[in-house]
Amino acid sequence: MLNGIPLYWFLLVSAALFCIGLYGVLARKNAVAILMGVELMLNAVNINLLAFWRYMAPGSTAGLAFAAFIFVVAAAEAAIGLALMISVYRNMRSVDPDKLDTMKL
Amino acid sequence: MTISQILFIVMSLVVLGGGVMVVAARNLFHAALFLILSFFGVTGLYLLLDASFFAAAQFLVYIGAISILVIFAVMLTRGAMAAQPANSQWPAALVVSAILFAIIAVIVGPIAVTIGERQFGDVSWPSVVEGQPVPAVPDDILVRLGQSFVDFNQYAALFLLAAVLILVAMVGAIWVARDRTPREVIEERAELAEESQDMAPPQHQLPVKNAEAVEAPTAGH
Amino acid sequence: MSVIDTINNLIKIVGDAVADLVVGILGAGQIADLVIMGLGALVLCTAVALTFMGMTWAERKVVARIQNRVGPNQAGPFGLLQPIADGIKMFTKEDTTPASADRWVYNAAPLIIATFALLTFSVLPFAPGVVGANINIGVFFVIAVGSASTVAILMAGWGSNNKYSLLGAFRTVAQLVGYEVPMLLNVIPVIVLSGSMSLVDIVQRQTLADGNPGIPFIVYLPLSALAFFIAGVAETGRSPFDLLEAESEIVAGFHVEYSGMKFALFMLGEYVNTLAVSIVFVILFLGGYAGPILPSYIWLLIKTALVFFVFMWLRGTLPRVRVDQLMALNWKVMVPLSVVNIIAVLILAKVFVTSPGLQSANGGILVAPEAQALILFVANIVILLSGLSIMARRARVLRLAEEAQIESRRAANRATASNFIGGAPAK
Repeated sequence: MLNGIPLYWFLLVSAALFCIGLYGVLARKNAVAILMGVELMLNAVNINLLAFWRYMAPGSTAGLAFAAFIFVVAAAEAAIGLALMISVYRNMRSVDPDKLDTMKL
Repeated sequence: MTISQILFIVMSLVVLGGGVMVVAARNLFHAALFLILSFFGVTGLYLLLDASFFAAAQFLVYIGAISILVIFAVMLTRGAMAAQPANSQWPAALVVSAILFAIIAVIVGPIAVTIGERQFGDVSWPSVVEGQPVPAVPDDILVRLGQSFVDFNQYAALFLLAAVLILVAMVGAIWVARDRTPREVIEERAELAEESQDMAPPQHQLPVKNAEAVEAPTAGH
Repeated sequence: MSVIDTINNLIKIVGDAVADLVVGILGAGQIADLVIMGLGALVLCTAVALTFMGMTWAERKVVARIQNRVGPNQAGPFGLLQPIADGIKMFTKEDTTPASADRWVYNAAPLIIATFALLTFSVLPFAPGVVGANINIGVFFVIAVGSASTVAILMAGWGSNNKYSLLGAFRTVAQLVGYEVPMLLNVIPVIVLSGSMSLVDIVQRQTLADGNPGIPFIVYLPLSALAFFIAGVAETGRSPFDLLEAESEIVAGFHVEYSGMKFALFMLGEYVNTLAVSIVFVILFLGGYAGPILPSYIWLLIKTALVFFVFMWLRGTLPRVRVDQLMALNWKVMVPLSVVNIIAVLILAKVFVTSPGLQSANGGILVAPEAQALILFVANIVILLSGLSIMARRARVLRLAEEAQIESRRAANRATASNFIGGAPAK
């Protein structure tokens, strides 16, 4: 399936996706949108892991295992993060992280 | 140009285009749908990488579960959809992201760049030979992956840890997002009334914990 | 090749002949491969769409018979042309879009649901050698692709900009995401027993051949088969689990705003999903295309028709469940029973092995395949009955407590009432 595709193509796509996700995390106003950015970044990491596994060590299971753990972490993170968001919205009527400053002195 | 290359380019465009729309779309529901599109492209990239198990897992976990959660969160916090999608620091964020991408692109890219005395780019990865076909994936790789998850010399400890993590996350998510019972709501109101140091009659609204709402009854005195 | 062999392998022979023809015209290469795959996909989609038309007719006829009606009988003999008449009607209806709809989302939803419903069929084996793609993660693929319909239903519900659509979409997600869990859990014992996720291998394991006793997995795992079937009914959103389109409560749920061909696409998606779940059930638990004497594809057809008949039977017989009953059945009955069942099957399959190779590698007791089937059958039945009896006892305790409470309240009310009758009313 890989004839003619060099490794760095995957790395560049993954880097671009990571940076798009980073921009989303830094620039979006809504906490749910920030979480979407985090999901994009996790996906970029997974592309990287699987690309390195495929090109450099297809016989080893290390890359696959870590990609699987990232799936677990992403699922846990999404569940907890979105539950927090719904709870915060219920109490504050807002999910703008800039407005959640009641703990500030 | 081979069919694989064409497929790769199409999938990458889906991934990156979807990603850009996720961070640029005004309507958050549309952003969530573009997120799904981006996940779908990533599934295609996994298929190109001969990781079909992970492609199916990506479909099941990301498209079937995580994006549904995201859409639910978008719908449940619908009242807070911001009119403008980005905050005031978006130019800085754009610059930071662009610089980061430029740095990574120079490091992993195919073009050799000399900065000062150091040379970057055009990395020859060990065991990747240019122009040579990539070695095939062994047929029993999934069996070996499964065995490595239950082998204490490999990832069994991590596997158990991941299981505990997801259990804790599940319980925590249910606990945080649960609907409070009427009794709890009444108790919270009583606490709020005590905090504001006067016996104001209970408010006919949901308990609001932020500062303005607590001070509101006292403002009249 | 004898006549019987020719009949048995009819689909494969015709397919090979067409493939040879294409290669003869275009020459071997990637383009010829693409054309052959495209032709295969076209034939598969057409066959599934034709089956969809047959299914609508069969369902209306059977449900009518169950409810003591006649069903369609005007168009053609026995109303056989009714699906075609319906199709023409759908085509000529006006294709409306609500003014306040989210246009792209609204229009994309029926396409997505139909596409992913059809995609499932690319990995299902219909006869020996007749399978779109024999991938090594077949079962997982089927369930993963099935989960895409949730997204499409959410899109339809949101895109219509109608409160009933949105309510239907919310219900759907709660139901589909919930019932995916027992569905996956009950596939695991099958994967453990067959040692593979490939659907072809799973059928092979249930075929009478060297070393295999040819016992379908429903004999090994009756509990899993039952739970998978119930989860399948819920996944396809059919009665008695048709809460997502409960006409009497939320009009028609997520597709209330759709008309014409888009509505027809939703119907197609629903029926094709039902067909897919029936075939997957046949492959996982009833031995797929395996069977004596008759050609393999006929066996698949008979078994699938049987499973679909049970679907129709349920639809014609049972009333719709409530939302809380739906959730309780899933999380309080099916998921715990399935988890216990998985643990039991894992342990028993490890202890009672059927091949000497496995015994020398991992230890265990060597038994005949029939004995293993019997042991697992008994274990499944014991888990099912004991689990249900524990739950029934617990439910009885709860019900008695509730009744006692109601009774005491009633007694108190009666006392107050007699006061009213006997003495002067209290002001």
